[in-house]
Amino acid sequence: MPPTIPPLLSPSELSYLHTSLSLTPPIRPDARSPTSFRPLVAETDLLPAANGSARLCFADGTEAIVGVKGEVEKTTNTTTTGGRSGGKGGGKGGGIDVIDMDVDEVEEVGSGGEGRWIEVSVDMPGQRDDDAMVVFLGEMIHEGLVADQFLQNRLVINNRWHWRLYIDILLLSPPLTYPLPLLSLTTHLALLSTHLPAPVQGLEKDDDPLFNDDWDAAVPLYPPSTPTNPPNPTSNTNSNKKPTTARPPITLLVISIGSNIFFDPSHAELAVADSVVAVTIASSSSSSSNEAEDLSLLAVRTIDPPSRLSSSSSTTDADAGREEEEGVWKAKKGGVRRDVLGRMIGMCTERGGVGAEVLSGLEGFT
Amino acid sequence: MPLPPSIYHLSSSHLRLDGRRWNELRRLTAQISTQASADGSSYLEMGNTKVLCTVTGPSEGKGGGRRGDEDSMSVDVRVNVAGFAGMDRKRVGRGDRRITELQNTISSAFSSTLFTHLYPHSTISLQIHILSLDGSLLAASLNAATLALIDAGVPMRDYLVACTAGLTPPSGRGDGDDMDPLLDLNGSEETEVPFLTVGTGGAGGGDVGGGGGWV
Repeated sequence: MPPTIPPLLSPSELSYLHTSLSLTPPIRPDARSPTSFRPLVAETDLLPAANGSARLCFADGTEAIVGVKGEVEKTTNTTTTGGRSGGKGGGKGGGIDVIDMDVDEVEEVGSGGEGRWIEVSVDMPGQRDDDAMVVFLGEMIHEGLVADQFLQNRLVINNRWHWRLYIDILLLSPPLTYPLPLLSLTTHLALLSTHLPAPVQGLEKDDDPLFNDDWDAAVPLYPPSTPTNPPNPTSNTNSNKKPTTARPPITLLVISIGSNIFFDPSHAELAVADSVVAVTIASSSSSSSNEAEDLSLLAVRTIDPPSRLSSSSSTTDADAGREEEEGVWKAKKGGVRRDVLGRMIGMCTERGGVGAEVLSGLEGFT
Repeated sequence: MPLPPSIYHLSSSHLRLDGRRWNELRRLTAQISTQASADGSSYLEMGNTKVLCTVTGPSEGKGGGRRGDEDSMSVDVRVNVAGFAGMDRKRVGRGDRRITELQNTISSAFSSTLFTHLYPHSTISLQIHILSLDGSLLAASLNAATLALIDAGVPMRDYLVACTAGLTPPSGRGDGDDMDPLLDLNGSEETEVPFLTVGTGGAGGGDVGGGGGWV
């Protein structure tokens, strides 16, 4: 986990924060509601040499730029099942166990893309390229992208050629807080703005691909959803039968304090969090197209809360049974309660919930 | 693909490949304070070259006087060329010699421009991200770094600004009189003609050296 800066708050400040955040209804330091986000700044398509790019600044000053570049590559083994290596592609995350992902095997031989066609690299200031956290973050974003087969299958040009997608994630600011939400939201925006050159029509299945050199004719990697008219199967011109609602996944940082749940936690709120959870969600592309708003849960990760790193945490067993002192807050031991975790996931994935709101908000940028 | 030298044989009406005259710069756009969490930051576009610079410090050096220069601030420059910066996706390693040379050039230029003696035992670090690369890399980096240092409020003698100039090859007929200067080369011109980046510190500072850049 990232080297989180220990919160520079006094014990009484921590106690005040924790008390006001565990009230019903809770009072956040900046008077937001539990599910509201701080304003963020985003722009897309800012790099001329990339197929898609995005820049995102969070309210705490952290900033990331993602550039997506596509290259045409020859498909080496067209006869083997394409989806076999889908989930654990990249090959660079050696030793990292990919959990809680269910990657379905591709049933059609030859038409499925492979996860290793998508290459994610994360660059953080002051960190080596092969640093464990950098590789881990890249792998987490990669596994979310390949979790549903949509993106891989979009990369197939014909039986002999495919696109290779390079996603370069550049964290520009020092990692003040856990950087995965920022990186995943920026990647989401960059992928939404990604356009690949349109192939020239009328070619045989095994021909070398030719592309239209008119950039205006380029096709978006993720087809834009059509909010004006309801999903209409007949208007779907894609060769694959996926509904047009497939979207890259996003990761949200959710914290719980007592039985209260907060989204987009600030630095002070993270300092007194009982539990920090990163929830990865995506529009489920496998659902029937008239239930476009359903979100699927891809991964839930608990993150060691920064409060455990501070001196206020009681780490020795001797303190375990001791009663809490008045006015001094100590970090809670143990994990997340099941019902709290269930409510967190519910708030992220439910129809019209926070996840859907964030996804529709991000779509407004492109 | 080398271009015939006649393309660069300029007369008063001749234009360069991107439509500029010999003395015209590309479109220059700059912003400061682009990043809230940095002490100073800037974003500079020179045509299709896009550079983002953040300044951290002056702060106590990590090594605690490891550099041995106790009386003045050391300027630590990190240049990071993003994988998507060029036309082809290519990762430029941290140990690349051209990058190291670029870092040293920028560091030495600012060591003489900033009032380093005001901050003993400290380090100022400049992080330069090359987002898009189309020539004039050193000039764009120096200009962006100056803007970020202005944003950070670091005292300096004068603003350090830089520009690239090239010289067209002789046509072979004359004795070199027909060689024409070109200002602010782009990426394709940099591969064709010899060029030099000149940084200047204005009236107070005088010239601050330069060097051939990204060939």
